[in-house]
Amino acid sequence: MNRILKSRAFKTTVIAAAVMGVAGVAQARDQIRIVGSSTVYPFASYVTEEFGAVTSYPTPVIESTGSGGGIRLFCNGVGEGTPDITNASRRIKSSELERCAENGVTDVTEVKIGSDGIVFAQSSTNAGMDLTLEQLFLAVAAQVPVDGELVDNPYAKWSDIDASLPDREISVYGPPSTSGTRDAFEELVMEAVSEEMEAYGGEGYTEIRADGAYIDAGENDNLIVQRLTEDTDSFGIFGYSFLVENANSLSASHIDGVEATPEAISAGDYPIARSLFFYVKNQHAEEVPPLYEYVDMFVSETMIGEGGYLTDIGLIPLPEAEREMARERVAQRGTLQVADL
Amino acid sequence: MSQSFDEISAQLQRRHRKSARLKWLSMGALGLAGLFLVLFFADMLSKGLPAFQQAQIRVELDYNEDATRMGRAALDPEVSRLVSRTFERLIPGMLADDPELLGTTETRWVLANAQVDQYLKGHTHRLNAAQQATVDRLAEEGNVALKFNTTFFTSGDSKMAEASGILAAALGTVMTMLVTLAIAFPIGVMTAVYLEEFAPDNRLTQIIEININNLAAIPSILFGLLGLAIFISFFGVPRSSPLVGGMTLALMTLPVIIIATRTALRSVPDSIRHAAFGVGCSRWQVVRDHVLPLAMPGIMTGSIIGLAQAMGETAPLIIVGMVAFIPDVSATFTNAATVLPAQIFTWAGEPDKAFVEKTAGGILVLLAILIFLNATAVVLRKKFERRW
Amino acid sequence: MQTDQLLALFSGVLLLLGLIAFFLGRAKAARVRAGGTAMFAQPDQYAWFAVLTTAGPAILVGGLSAFLMLLLGAEIPPLYLLAGSLAVAALGLAVGVRQVKPDFHARQAIERVIRWILVGAALISIFTTFGILFSIIFEALRFFQMHSFWDFITGTVWNPGASFLAAAGRADEGASAAQFGSVPLFAGTFMITAIAMLVAIPVGLLAAIYMAEFAPKRVRTLAKPTLEVLAGIPTVVYGFFAAITVAPLIVDLAGVFGLDASFNNAVAPGVVMGIMIIPFISSLSDDVINSVPDSMRQGSLALGMTKGETIRDVVIPAALPGIISASLLAVSRALGETMIVVMAAGMRPNLTANPLEDMTTVTVRIVAALTGDLEFESAETLSAFALGLVLFAVTLTLNLVSVLMIRRFREKYRVNNL
Repeated sequence: MNRILKSRAFKTTVIAAAVMGVAGVAQARDQIRIVGSSTVYPFASYVTEEFGAVTSYPTPVIESTGSGGGIRLFCNGVGEGTPDITNASRRIKSSELERCAENGVTDVTEVKIGSDGIVFAQSSTNAGMDLTLEQLFLAVAAQVPVDGELVDNPYAKWSDIDASLPDREISVYGPPSTSGTRDAFEELVMEAVSEEMEAYGGEGYTEIRADGAYIDAGENDNLIVQRLTEDTDSFGIFGYSFLVENANSLSASHIDGVEATPEAISAGDYPIARSLFFYVKNQHAEEVPPLYEYVDMFVSETMIGEGGYLTDIGLIPLPEAEREMARERVAQRGTLQVADL
Repeated sequence: MSQSFDEISAQLQRRHRKSARLKWLSMGALGLAGLFLVLFFADMLSKGLPAFQQAQIRVELDYNEDATRMGRAALDPEVSRLVSRTFERLIPGMLADDPELLGTTETRWVLANAQVDQYLKGHTHRLNAAQQATVDRLAEEGNVALKFNTTFFTSGDSKMAEASGILAAALGTVMTMLVTLAIAFPIGVMTAVYLEEFAPDNRLTQIIEININNLAAIPSILFGLLGLAIFISFFGVPRSSPLVGGMTLALMTLPVIIIATRTALRSVPDSIRHAAFGVGCSRWQVVRDHVLPLAMPGIMTGSIIGLAQAMGETAPLIIVGMVAFIPDVSATFTNAATVLPAQIFTWAGEPDKAFVEKTAGGILVLLAILIFLNATAVVLRKKFERRW
Repeated sequence: MQTDQLLALFSGVLLLLGLIAFFLGRAKAARVRAGGTAMFAQPDQYAWFAVLTTAGPAILVGGLSAFLMLLLGAEIPPLYLLAGSLAVAALGLAVGVRQVKPDFHARQAIERVIRWILVGAALISIFTTFGILFSIIFEALRFFQMHSFWDFITGTVWNPGASFLAAAGRADEGASAAQFGSVPLFAGTFMITAIAMLVAIPVGLLAAIYMAEFAPKRVRTLAKPTLEVLAGIPTVVYGFFAAITVAPLIVDLAGVFGLDASFNNAVAPGVVMGIMIIPFISSLSDDVINSVPDSMRQGSLALGMTKGETIRDVVIPAALPGIISASLLAVSRALGETMIVVMAAGMRPNLTANPLEDMTTVTVRIVAALTGDLEFESAETLSAFALGLVLFAVTLTLNLVSVLMIRRFREKYRVNNL
């Protein structure tokens, strides 16, 4: 008899597990759900870990979906199954906010948390380099204007671009097309420069050369560092945070005469930098109790302030006044209007 | 023209030398494969063993008023940057829970941060000269030391190398394997029983057989695409959960279990079946009461090997989102989780170099588990193997 | 009410009904038999039949409606569903207990049901294959609606950059068209596979020859499981080994010869993959060589051939179909291998014959497309499925050819254990 009962119970468990899979199971909701930019991901996951460790709530779940994908998921509606926060490495667009409103997501608070700079770095054994944004563009674009005509990029050495630059081969390790850093590089360098050039007809041009001078380095950043320290001719493109991690072996070039320092970036002087945001769905504040505790922790001075923990891992802090403003807005849960954008 | 004996024997010698050469060459090939194995384990051990030790630091804790807001205030400023964040962030909470601590002092060993750890182990680190001098002095006084790394076995993932551990991933592996086994074992055994004991020899049976062999050779990543498109997108199974991971791996393990079970069933001699039929058993009774119990050791062995294979699989799990950042140690079927090989993959991609040894340490643990499982299978086979 | 609570309720009540069915059925059968009537089956068998009629239809109804709800989006209130399926269970219970009659063949009825359950289990493996096929084909078709199949197969430029922009919500900011020419990806895949085979086939085959023809029995019993350890190491571990240890080694080695190697060169993942595949080739070849009939060896030795000549001219040619079959399976494994290349090979689609350069593979792109910062509907994401489809077709063909080869070998020498 015992055997029968046992096998019966076993069968039921198996069937129950299978049916459970089919039906899907509701999530417990003291767990915050976060989606969005992979650039903000390391900072946000640091805060979520801290949040899980010091509060009694479970660690929020973060998925790195990209800024655009995150905003789409965020704006799909209100209620169970939709994320509470989306991180973004750019500001939300008015069209996106309108779509949010159409789906019932009407009360969104925007929080600016800091900036992120992209550096163009080389082995620190080399002499420092001072580039203009345009020179950088000419080194990596697939097609460049020569005498007003667009031709395949002819530059093999830096000195080909400008005689004042060193006689070194152009060899750049950069992020793959699936990474957020690449997205930022295309936006802040490629588009910014090409829109100013007549040959492109005033439109942004983002195609990167594929003749071997630009090397898609993959996600394994350690290998880039190794490569840069051995092949001292090469440059690497990566986020400012990664430069901080490897400050002893790498040094960043000056861009338009500005060195990539936290001060220059947060003041907006360093050209390849962008602001980082996250967006909070206020309509979930009731149903997800820890939501604003998390937000408060994120904007606290110990996190995003100067010398805060996030700056240790590469976030570039906002000026004092802007940080105050961000906290103010969080405290009031100010709703973002289309007119603000 | 005839050859002299000398010429012939010289020729013979040449031929035998050639034969001997093949023997040495083939022996060398086996030796080379063995050498790879030795090199591989030596490399992993040398990289991974340091992960089982972690720098700790003895500090004087002064629970003052400031420490209720900012944990760092409880520490001597000289060492505050050398202590792991994971400890100091807990201080305000500790004081809130136990207000009587306020105003007291305490001396205890706490986790040092990863840079101190890497410095002590002689790896690359980011301590400045003053900090290095401090660590050197503390080490001389016996206030900094490498101790057994319990954190590695008791905590989940962390952004800070010194605090990251494998327990969350290990639990994820256990939950995922439970799902895999609960699905693959009964279905696999039933399929094998059908094919060996019930199926008529017709087209359908042949198709099923060819299909199973083919399934065993399909790249594992394609199972991940199936999991993504059917389990997650269509059936709405929660992404990143052990449930979806286990279901995906179950389909992958199925052919292994089926093939092993069929071999085990085939090795049960027909005389057993004849005897059972002879006393009036129905087909199912023959299988259930006589053939299956005799084949069970073989089935168990095959299932354990299949399980070990599934346990080391990563590619399909990446596709169904099980490469997630999981700091919480919890056993769950439906919430996001990660598994040991996925944790290894995540750590391998961390920019912080202190994670290299964590990766190798995780690998050692995974290998130990797999070797244990496979050894169990071998012992099981040895112990219960019956020659008929 | 939550779904999991409903489910627990459903299972609980069903379990209870099943138990009731079991005891009612058995009690009734025992009563009938105690009355002296001869019955076709044992009381326990009637009891089990009652359990089957109770649980079977109810689970079927529950499962079917859950499936309908998902598939057709039909709205069935869960509470009605629960009540409905439990009513079916109760009805089944009544029928099952009623069927406890002396002239009812409960054992045969159970046998029939079990047979169908077994058939159902066996069909799951077929469903799996179709599941893989359909899940890939539907998404791949959506991809081919956006980009032509011909360009995909013959194009030499893989540049999905612009579709990424679209996903990032910046499509309107102007960008050149995305290009999805898969030739560089397949070139990279085949390059790495070729390197792996260059390592695995000679070493694996020679090791098999040694184990089968030369080695003393003790070496053989020790060497075989040791080699199997290589096959049991997870691929993610091999990937780490290739990226952290082997790749820098290759770069240094190339430097000694004055060559310039990338850290993501194709040699490191190729060699490591080869090491992984050695036991695969050696154990299959070992089996094949062992099944070459001894009469052939004896004949050859009797004619005065040396051991080496016998192996080279008699044993290997006889075993060739089996060895080729093993190699084809190994190739199919190497093509589909993911973790080693994801961790050690490059990301750059690079059409080159120099294995020291970085190049990417099909599986790397699949992983990159499905894990990066992409939106779910972009062409780059869908391209993963198109690549998966080609991978599926290629490995399927290799597997089938391999099966045919081994079958020929088996028929020729009447070997049954392969």
